[in-house]
Parts: sequence; structure tokens; C-alpha cells
Amino acid sequence: MSVEKNELNPNNPFLPEPARIVRMYPLTDDVKFFQVRIADMEKALAFKYCVGQFAMLSVLGAGEAPFSISSTPSRPGLLEFCIRKAGTVTEALFKLKENDLIGIRGPYGNGFPVEKIKGKDVLIVMGGLGVAPLRSVLLYCLDNRDQFRRVILLHGAKKPSEMIFREEFLDLKQREDLECYLAVDEDDTKEWKENVGVVTTLFPKINDINPENTFSLVCGPPVMYKFVLKELVKLNIPKDQILMTLERRMKCGVGKCGHCAIDYIYTCLDGPVFTYWDIIHMRELI
Amino acid sequence: MNQEKLKIGIYELTGCAGDALLILDCEKELIDIFNAVDIQSFLMAKSDNIEGELDVALVEGSVTTEKEIEELKDIRKRAKLVVALGLCATVGGIQARFGDREEWEENYKKVYGDIDMTHTRPVQSKPIDEYIEVDYYLPGCPIEKEQFLNFFTRFLKGNPPEKSQNPVCVTCKYNENDCLLKKGVLCLGPVTSDGCGSICINHNLPCIGCWGPLDVANRTAEFYLLQEKGYDVEEIKKKMANFSGTKIAEFFKKVGKEKR
Amino acid sequence: MRVIKLSKENLFPFLEVISEKTGLWAPVRKPNSGHVFKEIDDFAQIDLDYTRTILPPKKIFLPPSFNMFKASKNNYEEDFSHVSPKILFGIHPCDIHGLLIMDRFYSYVFDDPYYSKARDNTLILGHSCWPDENCLCKSTNTHIVEEGYDLFFTDLKDSYLVWIGSSKGDDLIRVKAELFDENIAEKDIQNFIQWREERDEAFQTEINFSAMPDLMELKYNDTLWEKLGDACLACGSCTNVCPTCNCYNVHDKPALGEDSSQIVRCWDACTLENYSEVAGGENFRKKRSDRLKLWYTHKLQAYISKYGKPSCVGCGRCIATCPVDINVKTVAHTLDGDKVDSFWNRFHEEVRK
Repeated sequence: MSVEKNELNPNNPFLPEPARIVRMYPLTDDVKFFQVRIADMEKALAFKYCVGQFAMLSVLGAGEAPFSISSTPSRPGLLEFCIRKAGTVTEALFKLKENDLIGIRGPYGNGFPVEKIKGKDVLIVMGGLGVAPLRSVLLYCLDNRDQFRRVILLHGAKKPSEMIFREEFLDLKQREDLECYLAVDEDDTKEWKENVGVVTTLFPKINDINPENTFSLVCGPPVMYKFVLKELVKLNIPKDQILMTLERRMKCGVGKCGHCAIDYIYTCLDGPVFTYWDIIHMRELI
Repeated sequence: MNQEKLKIGIYELTGCAGDALLILDCEKELIDIFNAVDIQSFLMAKSDNIEGELDVALVEGSVTTEKEIEELKDIRKRAKLVVALGLCATVGGIQARFGDREEWEENYKKVYGDIDMTHTRPVQSKPIDEYIEVDYYLPGCPIEKEQFLNFFTRFLKGNPPEKSQNPVCVTCKYNENDCLLKKGVLCLGPVTSDGCGSICINHNLPCIGCWGPLDVANRTAEFYLLQEKGYDVEEIKKKMANFSGTKIAEFFKKVGKEKR
Repeated sequence: MRVIKLSKENLFPFLEVISEKTGLWAPVRKPNSGHVFKEIDDFAQIDLDYTRTILPPKKIFLPPSFNMFKASKNNYEEDFSHVSPKILFGIHPCDIHGLLIMDRFYSYVFDDPYYSKARDNTLILGHSCWPDENCLCKSTNTHIVEEGYDLFFTDLKDSYLVWIGSSKGDDLIRVKAELFDENIAEKDIQNFIQWREERDEAFQTEINFSAMPDLMELKYNDTLWEKLGDACLACGSCTNVCPTCNCYNVHDKPALGEDSSQIVRCWDACTLENYSEVAGGENFRKKRSDRLKLWYTHKLQAYISKYGKPSCVGCGRCIATCPVDINVKTVAHTLDGDKVDSFWNRFHEEVRK
């Protein structure tokens, strides 16, 4: 158990804290970007989290749901979320405007084991909304670039218009300290200059992987895992250095409501980050 | 709310009007309800009804005449959202329990003979979703205050109602009743939608299924369990059919055929 | 631990004194039904001759539905109205063990104040019991208690031996110390030994719980689960009556006249259809067999692997409740290779096969 408790309301972890939407804009047709600040300035600055953790967001009248934090703790004060419209809470979030108040609780979950990854090569593989948790890691690595060796990013989307943070990633390609490869399954714009094909077609582009010294961080839609994991195993990356972050229905985030239970694991406490070994070892994970 | 009030219409087709009555029975909240929305049409409550564009139409009762089919289609055209209110609207009601067309015609003849209906022609009772698309269902016979108010308020604030797929047994256990099925009583709790507060079982009477069939229920197991408890096949079917309207016709076609 | 004696006629006078300012909850028989824990206004209602209540005492700490807080746009108002000082009298060892498991669960990593505040406000006065054919507590080793109570009453026909399990329990005794007898005679000890031996021999059901984690693992893909899933009515009763089931759901119930909501917490059950539905409507445990497998993984495997004992406390409520005989007894015995007499087995043999 590596959960570090930093809740906003230590006496009642279920009690949300009012937070203001500072900015919100669409990233794709059904994904919006939210920048949020906890209304109480002291609490906003004291809010400590690690990459890969999540928070519970609530909209009055609609309910509460868990969301990966997409911002990096290396840039404190503001929290960012990439949210896809998928149910009651997200629909209500989409209807809000900048300056509106929402509720926030957290941070929850184990997050990525950053200390273990430091000094190693980092291979990030993401597809679709997998960007939401992995953008946090990516920005963290870039903000602390000297603490990591190679940083490699493989990012896949269905179409250019569905690539979340497309412009941000295209800009990142300019950086010399990041190996960034982007792919779309299908180019309907005819203006896409990057790769066309599924995300696994990007693997041949990475040279000289040193598997013992590499941590791979993966997140994407369920169909993606099977193929990506195959590639990673082919590269000989040890199973406990392949990390994935999973999504489950949660009502509490603090290991009480039971909804995220898999075997005897609670995704909200023992996850959402699991190793490939955990996944093989515990059925039902993916 | 800064935007214009939602325009609501409440309509009664064939049924006991118990659901509309229940809305009026929300005495404590009635002023808030009427303040929160613009009730354009509600025959039971007022006479200055306007039949125009609606945000939400709440429709009670089943469809039993050609005139009602026309009325219903007109409501659908005028309303952005249609909510089926109560058992008759959601499944067709007790009056739809004779699912078989010939059986219905026979019964009709027995009761009315050869009378020529001039006002409108009767049709076999059916739930409203047989004729129009329905956005939300509020089961119940009648609906419950809390269920209605919760639906109404969530809706008013722009959020869809929370869908429940629980059987009566859930609330029945909260109310700490011994399981009547376990005792060998013909109780339909496991195959019936929750929401009534398990009121019958609280009074040591079995569930008769009046909130309508739960769509995810394991009716086959319930059926054979009752048979094992000594109930006659026809009796079980009859009980299950009473409040199921047209909704579990497929089940009745299949059940009994699994057996060796 | 200290043990003292209380003659039977002194029980009600004792309860009367200690419940003057505190709500007393005890087992009561419902008309036409089983026993329930209920707040007592008349001592004559108390019925100690019971085996198990329909719902376990968890309902006293976390009711099936209660308000967690009132939410408005910029303010959240905690609601602890379900918490009040209580004395819970007549609770059996299995249920005390159930509470001990709940204690661990609700304080694990994050403390759940809705549980712990209610727990801190409740005194536990246990009572001995006699097993029926569905009691499994000897197999789960929960037929005896060493902790988790303030006082524990062992019924030895004419008198009680009263174990004092906590400082608060000791305070209760001191309220009316003259009702108790500090001297335990040799005969009382003999009576106790005899009672214990006879009670231990009265168990009719045995389950080899230590074998369950391995058997659950080996039989993960066994046809047993499909048989159970076929017959399961998905009524949620096994879960609701289980003293160690704790899943819940949260609802946002908006107020009609104002811009606020009640945030309501209510019991949920992993055996119910909606349980594993995620945003967008996808349900990743659509099959009843998958949901039952999760339930039994928790009861027969997970907790044993983690803490060396099952999270089943052997109360027999699932046996007494499930109309299709899916319960810890039939499932564990089947996993252990026995052929059990149950509706779900017959249903498979006669209908499905």
C-alpha cells in the first residue's frame, strides 16, 4: 500500500471542496479540457498529488465521478482534466461555464512510482483518452528532464481530429530531448504529415531499447492493450516495469464503496496504476 | 433558474388516473412544483389548458382506443421529451394482460356484444411505447411520491433521472421481512421493479407484481422455483401475467419448453 | 479481562439503569417474521431466544439509506444525524466478529467517519447463543469472542457470567455494581465448562474454510458458476443480510425549492444487475455468474489470503435467506467436491441440462 493521504478534508474524506473552473475548451468533438482551481487559495496551494493519481469531481444535482489528473504536480495551483462526455456527471460538466463552481475531492490512488522510474528510460504509449493520465507523467518528465534518461512518446488516435492535444504534441516534436511519434488510424484530412496506422506501427521507429533500464507506461482503450503489451514483451521489458492505469466505476475513491473491486483489489487504493504482472496475476483487470 | 420555465403537460389515457392524482397529492411540494415549471395542460388540476409545444409530456394510462392513438401521436409531436407515467403507460396495465389478439376479441365480444362504438373504436390495450418513442419510464401502480419528486427535481435541474434496475427484494430486505418465497409463498418480488417500499410484504402479503416486470429479472428461475414449491403452471403464469402487460410475452412463449 | 456474575432477575433492572439516557437496541421478534434489532421502549419486547436477526447489526451503524451531507454550490454541510449514543444488547459472537471486520475495513487507509462516529457511540453488550443447522461459526472460528465487546453475557440457565471487555464496560457495571456478584463459585465454572462443551457439540455443519482459497482458484472456470448464475434471482438478499458486506452507492437528490442537494448513501449489492455498470452504460459484470464469483471471491478467498481468516463469520444468514439455496454452505461444500441438495442444483439437472 503506497497511498499517501493528502485529502483536502482529513476529518471527512467524503466531503468535497468547492473549486472553480478557470478555463474550459473542447479538445475534440466529445472531449473537453478543464482547468480547475480550488476556491480556498490556501488549500489550492497545499494540494499535493503525484502523477497518475485521480480526483473525484462533482456537479451539484448530477453527482460525482472519478477523473485522472492531467496536469503535473511540478506546476502547482491549477489542476487539469481531459474529460469525455460519457454519462450524467460528464454531461453536467460539459454544460458548465468558466467561473462556475464544482466540487473536488482527492487526490486518490497510488499513482506512478516516479521515484523508481527516475534515472531510467521512459516509454509512454497512449491511445485515445489514455492521454488524460499520461499527460501528467509526460509533463512531469519534461519539467524534470535531467532526472530521466530517454523519454519516448508513442501516441495514437483514430483520426487527426480525434487526437487529444494534437497541436501540443506536434509542437513537442520540435524538442530534441523527447522522441515523439504520432499516428492516426486513418487520415481523413489528407493534411496529416505524421504516421498513418495503429499505434503499434510506431514501435519499429524506436531504436536500441535497453529493456532492463526501461519503464513503459501505457494507457488507452481496452483494444489497444493487447497489441501494445505484445510489442512491449517482444522488446523484453520486464513485466513489472510495464505500468498501466485502469478505469473503473467508483463512488468513493477511498476504498469503501466497493464498486471498483476486482478480486480483492480495490482499484482506487491499490490502483489505478498496475503492472503487467498484476494484470496477468489478477483476472478481470482488463 | 434564469431561463424560461419548462413547459409541461400531464395527460391521462386509459387507467385509473392514480398517477396524476399522486402528483396532486404532493401537497407540501405542490406550490414549488407549480412555481418551478409552466404546467400547460393538466386536465385533472385545471381547466385553462393549452395544447401547444411542450418540453416534457408526462403520459399516464394505456392506449385502448383509436382516438387515444391519435392523441398520443399528437403529444409526441409537440413534446421534446415523453415520460411514461405509471404501470399502464409503461407496460399496458392489467387491461393488457390478454396479450393474445384472439383472446382479447373474444373477451371484448363477451362484455360488449355487437355494440357499434360511434365515439371511437376500441383497440387492444397497449403501453404507449407501442405507438411512440418514450424517453423515460416511471413505473408504479401508482407511482410513488419520492420517486416522482426525485425524477422531477433532477430533471428540472437538467440532469437525467437515475435508473434503477433493482427488484422489490432489495427494499424488502431493508425493511427486514423474512423471504416469503423461501417460506413457499407465491411472491413476485424478485421479478418486479422496486419502488413501492415493499408495502405488501411488510404486511405479510406476497408481492403481486404491480410495479411491473423488472426487465433484467431471472423469470425462468422464479418460474421453476414456484413450480417446485407446488404451484400449478397455469396459476404461476396467471399471477405473472396480471401486471406484466405486453412486456414479457416472449417469456411466456418460451417458458416450459426448456424442460426435457 | 474480568468475569462477574449476574443473576437473571437482575438483568432488566441493570438494562433499565444503563439505558436511562442512551437508546437500547436489542433483538425483537417481528410478527409473522424473524427477529430484528430494534430500539426498545418496553423490556418485555426483548427476545433473547433467537438465532439470527434478519439484518445484521451493520444497519445500526450505517443504515440502508442516510444523508452524508447537504451540498450547495459553495458549501458542504456534514450530516451525522444517524449517529446517536446507543447500547446494543444481545448481539451474538458471529456478529461481533462481523463488526471487527467492519472496523478494520472502515479504518483501512482512510477513516470513514460515518461508520467510526456511530461505532464510537455504541456500546456492545454481547450474548451467548446456541447453534441451529445453519450456523457455521465454529468452522469460521467466530463462535467465541475475545475482543470487540464492552460486556458479554454467557447464559448459564439461572445466571449470567458477564465478561467485562473494556473500560467503558467496566463503567457500566459500576453504575449499579450491587446487582453483580464478584465471586464466581467453582460450580459456576463447572457449569460454564459443561455449557461450552455441549454448545460446541451442537454444531451440525462444518466447512473447511482453509481449503477455500485454493479451491476458488482451481475452480475459477468450473461449471458451478454457470449453474449458480442460472438459478440466481439477483435479488441482492445474500449481500444485504451479510454482516461483512459493505458496498454502497451515492445519490445526489436535489431539493425542489432551492439550489442544494442531499447526498444520500445507500447500501448496494454486487449481486445486483446495475452494480458494475460504468459511465456510458457499459456493464462489465453483466452475467449473474460473474457477479456471484466476485461475491464468493470476497467471502471465501480474498480475506483468507490477506488476513488468514474468511470474511464469512458463519452467521448463516445467506442460508436462511436465499430462496434458491445459493449460500456459503452449498457453494463451499460443492467446491469441496460434495454433491449438495439445493434448488440451483436441481434446476440445472432438471431444466437446463
